[in-house]
Amino acid sequence: MASAPTSKYNSHSLENESIKRTSRDGVNRDIGEALPRLPGETRITDKEVIYICPFNGPIKGRVYITNYRLYLRSLETDSALILDVPLGVISRIEKMGGATSRGENSYGLDITCKDMRNLRFALKQEGHSRRDMFEILTRYAFPLAHSLPIFAFLNEEKFDVDGWMVYNPVEEYRRQVLSWIHPENKTVIMRCSQPLVGMSGKRNKDDEKYLDVIRETNRQINKLTIYDARPNVNAVANKATGGGYESDDAYHNAELFFLDIHNIHVMRESLKKVKDIVYPNVEESHWLSSLESTHWLEHIKLVLTGAIQVADRVSSGKSSVVVHCSDGWDRTAQLTSLAMLMLDSYYRSIEGFEILVQKEWISFGHKFASRIGHGDKNHADADRSPIFLQFVDCVWQMSKQFPTAFEFNERFLIIILDHLYSCRFGTFLYNCESAREKQKVTERTVSLWSLINSNKDKFKNPFYTKEINRVLYPVASMRHLELWVNYYIRWNPRIKQQQPNPVEQRYMELLALRDEYIKRLEELQLANSPKLSDPSTSPSSPSQMMPHVQTHF
Amino acid sequence: MEFSELIRTGQAQAELLRGPEMPPLRGTLCVTGHHLLLSPGPQATPDLWLLLLRSVDSIEKRVAGDAGTITLRCKDLRVLQLDIEGVEATLDIARSIEALSSLESVITSFPFFYRPKGLRLGEAWHFHPPERYYKRIARETRAWRLSEANEDFSLCPSYPRAVIVPRAVDDDALARSARFRQGGRFPVLSYYHAPRGTVLLRSSQPLTGRQKLRCAEDEELLRAVLAEARPGARGFIVDTRSAQAAKQARMTGGGTEAKAAYPGWKRLHRPLERGRPLQESFVRLMEACGDPEQSMDRWLSRLDGCRWLSHVKEALSTACLAAQGMEWEGACILVHGAEGTDSTLLVTSLAQLILDPLSRTMAGFQELIEREWIQHEAPIFLLFLDCVWQLGRQFPLSLEFGEGMLLALFDHSYASPFGTFLCNSEKERCLCEVRTRTHSLWSGLNQPKEQRKLRNPLYVPNPLAIWPSVEPQSLRLWQGLFLRWTHPPEPSEVAWEKVWQIATDQKTEGSQPTDSASEPQP
Repeated sequence: MASAPTSKYNSHSLENESIKRTSRDGVNRDIGEALPRLPGETRITDKEVIYICPFNGPIKGRVYITNYRLYLRSLETDSALILDVPLGVISRIEKMGGATSRGENSYGLDITCKDMRNLRFALKQEGHSRRDMFEILTRYAFPLAHSLPIFAFLNEEKFDVDGWMVYNPVEEYRRQVLSWIHPENKTVIMRCSQPLVGMSGKRNKDDEKYLDVIRETNRQINKLTIYDARPNVNAVANKATGGGYESDDAYHNAELFFLDIHNIHVMRESLKKVKDIVYPNVEESHWLSSLESTHWLEHIKLVLTGAIQVADRVSSGKSSVVVHCSDGWDRTAQLTSLAMLMLDSYYRSIEGFEILVQKEWISFGHKFASRIGHGDKNHADADRSPIFLQFVDCVWQMSKQFPTAFEFNERFLIIILDHLYSCRFGTFLYNCESAREKQKVTERTVSLWSLINSNKDKFKNPFYTKEINRVLYPVASMRHLELWVNYYIRWNPRIKQQQPNPVEQRYMELLALRDEYIKRLEELQLANSPKLSDPSTSPSSPSQMMPHVQTHF
Repeated sequence: MEFSELIRTGQAQAELLRGPEMPPLRGTLCVTGHHLLLSPGPQATPDLWLLLLRSVDSIEKRVAGDAGTITLRCKDLRVLQLDIEGVEATLDIARSIEALSSLESVITSFPFFYRPKGLRLGEAWHFHPPERYYKRIARETRAWRLSEANEDFSLCPSYPRAVIVPRAVDDDALARSARFRQGGRFPVLSYYHAPRGTVLLRSSQPLTGRQKLRCAEDEELLRAVLAEARPGARGFIVDTRSAQAAKQARMTGGGTEAKAAYPGWKRLHRPLERGRPLQESFVRLMEACGDPEQSMDRWLSRLDGCRWLSHVKEALSTACLAAQGMEWEGACILVHGAEGTDSTLLVTSLAQLILDPLSRTMAGFQELIEREWIQHEAPIFLLFLDCVWQLGRQFPLSLEFGEGMLLALFDHSYASPFGTFLCNSEKERCLCEVRTRTHSLWSGLNQPKEQRKLRNPLYVPNPLAIWPSVEPQSLRLWQGLFLRWTHPPEPSEVAWEKVWQIATDQKTEGSQPTDSASEPQP
């Protein structure tokens, strides 16, 4: 039999923590039980409010605010409603109604969230209860403006697995150069920002030479392909601000293509329109036309099409590829990471995907802090944009088209998006590596991958079939793209299915059963193999180790 | 008549193009009485390609130089292109296909000639006789009886010989009621909802006409339904026309039940499209799906404009309404439109799938189709299948059959070697001796080798009603059908295979495989 599992050196399980906490809290036990808390999370206040549920009408409840979350429990007997919202998802808090407001439930707070919903609470006009709640929420949802730490630095959660160990750049680059090298034809995908050509058409000998060297690393074809993610006109316009694109004269061994993907502002506005048609009420009549008018799926299509071109150039065109947009950290990251997902099955595993995100997004300087605005109160900041969400949407579209190709399931993608905003983990904090190093993020915060990798089974796709050298080209036609309803419209109870992911639930049961049977079979084979030591004396006797198999069927 | 008179040519050399994802086939083309054959020679795979001529919907021919091209649009939505050597040969083949594919006669159709190995004639026709279902209800309720008043199809040519009616109503009253309903389709039981003791009935419109005629026996029949259900029971009449259309029908002799004449019954109008508008919607959808322009920017608004998904939504909502009436209000439901043969069946059969776990088993579903669907070749049956597909997508564990079953039903309803979908009524079927001279589709589908394609390996019997979400966001285009020939199904087939692997591993090694005994019993 396999060797006995080695006991963990420091196995602080979550349960231990919670027991300690309740005994420490003592008097507050009832509240402690009403309110789930992470180690390091402290309760600030609680209040009786009316939650104006857009689907079921006003519900009386008690809201608890901690330094991490807003938690509401219904006080009505016929409603089991619970809201559990990390403060990190809050983008904006507004007061509604004034001292003279008369209508029922017209005085309170309206909270806009980054995850496609709004929360409205009605409060009593007397006793400053709204002012208190507004101030506390503002302080803890936007800690940066109040010289408070982001919650990730207070989080004391412990996990069996250390997610910061998932990505080791040195190891990854031993496997791959930047960003990816084809295992057979040795062509590469590289990324950079736009050249600073400007109106006068500046050139740079070293840059031209560098690209030529990249071209020469691949002996099969004598042209290098440069993909500029922007629409052609934007690239030209960028010359006015000192940017631009590679001219034919300067880079005569290179071919340049434009991929027509729009900038962060266009994407932000597009997602805003999606929210308009799905929250709180979904557009009923002419739903598809309304969806079309948001252009969201069209943008998804362009990003996927661009990535397919990059992947195909490398795989079939046998040409090395350089990808850039203006800055090289938004559209470029989308294109290279999606192309790598198409080309390399390794990135379709759970760990591979974590490494891909860590490498192509976090490490290469996608400006998460600016795009998401962690702990920042400036909700109208023009730097905010759902670029990473768009990437995850593209991954979801691919996983729909190739149900067996990805080790992870939809829940995995959704939990990543939830914690993109939550500020519970350090993974997506800050704009670049240098800021992260300065803040000692890996030492002082927990990685999201710790949570996921300690609980991998929950995020596994039961259909997954490992294939090594399969290149996936999704169909990027509008006909085969659909709105990710389970993410964008997940707050609407009318869209929900009978139970959460029944297929997966059933599958996990089946898989678990299969694993049990395989194990039992192996054990039986062992038991049946002739001339084995006497089972009654052997401590690891298969018959004693026989797992108890539960039959669900 | 001899088929040979219609076949104008022996054979020709041709190349067949089957769509963007499949390699062309080159070989000898030949027309037989029922098939178009292409034989690429013994080394090729496949070594023979066959198309049932009945499945050809329209044919276009073009000649240029000394060759020609025939484009066939099939009823299963495929578009095939044949490049043929020789102008004469092309025209002859085109004429032969045209003549043979449009033959009207039922008894010369392929099912009357199809004699596959391993199947015996007459074998599976008794799998799902409606009588068995009706007898069971008559036994269980004591309020209903099996009537043979329609034994010679004189009351209603489109009803089967045996129908189930309230025990309190005698055959003479049935005959009068039949005369008061269009096409003789008097109210009969479609489904008995045992948990609430309520029933689902269907009929055609009453012939009230301009003079607002009444029929005492028809009124008595519906009164008896409520009385048998429960003292003081209520009923809803779900009219699948708008109130306006129902009123207008009086001008042409039809109409609707007057409130005063049917105490306890309340009329609800839920207009469903049928006939031409539905056909047009379907054609527009087919055009949109078949458009070779892959990167259409206006796809979504075009899909919206087809209105097909709105029809799906309306059908499902109306079925939900009928089902809710029975399950939540404990009411009896009568569904009819005008003829009571298209949207009526759509509503009654979907309501059963929502409420009745038995109808969601393989055998139960086949029985449901035998009982409710006598019409075909109308997009309304496709609409029904699409609605069932949506149910299956929203409740992936609750149907014992999978998408493969729905696709097979779609294909066979248009062109099939089996006789199940032949003819428009029980009367015609008897005249043509369909039951003794052709094979039943169920005998074909219930063969073990077909099961993997048709069954849902995830099925777990679900005793509850399944209430679908009918929000437009919850309804999807059925890609497996509408985009079947433009997009390779390979990834989903791989996934399906994987599902089966895991499920069968579990079954063969499992200690107590409790396969829900859904094989049809003789």
